[in-house]
Amino acid sequence: MVQINLPKNSEIQKGKYYKDKTGSKNLRKINVYRWDPSTGENPRIDTYEIDMDNCPSKVLDILNKIKNEIDPSLAYRRSCSHGVCGSCAMNMDGKNGLACTKPHSEIKGDINIYPLPHLKVLKDLIGDLSTLYKQYESVQPWLKTSKKTDKENLQSKEDRSKLDGLYECIMCACCSTACPSYWWNGDKYLGPAVLLQAYRWIVDSRDEDRKERLKKVADELKLYRCHTIMNCTNACPKGLNPAKAIAEIKKMLATSNV
Amino acid sequence: MKNNNPLSPHIQIYKWHVSSLVSISHRISGVINYLFFVFLSIWILFSFLFIETYEIFFIFYNSILGKFFVTGIIWSFSFQILSEIRHLFWDFGYGFDLKISKITGLVVIFGSLILTISILLIGRQII
Repeated sequence: MVQINLPKNSEIQKGKYYKDKTGSKNLRKINVYRWDPSTGENPRIDTYEIDMDNCPSKVLDILNKIKNEIDPSLAYRRSCSHGVCGSCAMNMDGKNGLACTKPHSEIKGDINIYPLPHLKVLKDLIGDLSTLYKQYESVQPWLKTSKKTDKENLQSKEDRSKLDGLYECIMCACCSTACPSYWWNGDKYLGPAVLLQAYRWIVDSRDEDRKERLKKVADELKLYRCHTIMNCTNACPKGLNPAKAIAEIKKMLATSNV
Repeated sequence: MKNNNPLSPHIQIYKWHVSSLVSISHRISGVINYLFFVFLSIWILFSFLFIETYEIFFIFYNSILGKFFVTGIIWSFSFQILSEIRHLFWDFGYGFDLKISKITGLVVIFGSLILTISILLIGRQII
C-alpha cells in the first residue's frame, strides 16, 4: 500500500552536531542518519564537520574518517571499497549508490547520507535486506540442466553476449530500494534487482528451465508492478539497465505462449 | 525481527528526475482524464435532457475557473497521449537507454505544453 508518511517511530529528529577540531578551513557538513536500537529513541540526523583537505575522494572515505577520527559508534556496511561487493550501498544526496564509487565532489552543498530507502533499519546506515534475499532465492538463481558431461557446457559467442549487462549485477539493492513500486509493494513485487536476475537465467542458452521460469514470474504483482519509472536504471552504480531487463521479460511473455 | 525498527525515509528524501516525474504525471493525468469523461457524460446528458442547463455550463466555461479547467484538461490529454506513445515504444523494447529516456521524457513534458498552447490557439482560430 502507498504510505507516503513515515510511521511515528521513524520520524527523524535533530541530532548532535560535531564541530571540527582540526582547525581546517576547507570544511564540509555531512548529515548522517543515525538510529541506535539500544536506546528506543527515534532516528536522528547527526551533523559532522569534515576537514576536506585530509580526506580522499569518495563518500565512503568520509564515513571512514568519521568512524576513525570523530565518532566510532557510526555503523555502516563496507568491504571491498572498489564497487565489487555491493556492501556500502546507501542513499547519498537523494540518490542510491555505492559509497565507495561515489565521489563527494559530485555532490553540491551539504552531503546527506541515509540508509537505502524504505527498509527496516537495523542500525544507522544498515537496512534489513532479508526480504530481498528471500525473493532472490525464489527465482532459483542457478543453472538448471539435465546435461551431464565431463567437459565445459559451451555457449556460442552470440548466446554469451546476451548475458552482458546482466551478469555484472552485484546485488547491492540500489535499484530495488530506489523503486517506488517496490516501496509500496515490496512484499509481493519482486523488484528490479531480482527481476534482472530472473531474466539473466531466462536468457541463458544453457538453462533448460526457461518456460518454467517465465511462468513463475508472470504475475500481476511479481512482475507487472513495474511501471517503467526508471529509478532503478538511474540508480544502478554498475550502469546496468534493470528496466530494460523487465521490459524484455514482459515482451517474452507477450510474444510466446507460456 | 523487533517491530520497533524504524523505516528508512523514502519518498521524503529521494531525488526526482525526469522519468519519475513523467511517470507520476502520467498517472495523475490518467485519473484526471477518467474523471473528465464522467463529467463529459453528465454534461452531454444534461444538454440533451434539460436545455436550460446549457446556460449554466456556458457561464462556467467562460469564467476564469472554467477556462483554467479547460486548459487543464487539454494539457492532461496532451500529456497522456505523448506519454502513452513513449510507453508504446518501451513496450516494443526501445528507448530504455538512460539518455534516450531522459530526452523522450523532456519531449513529453515540453511537447504537452506546446500541444496545449497550439490546441488553445487553434480553438480560438488564431492559428
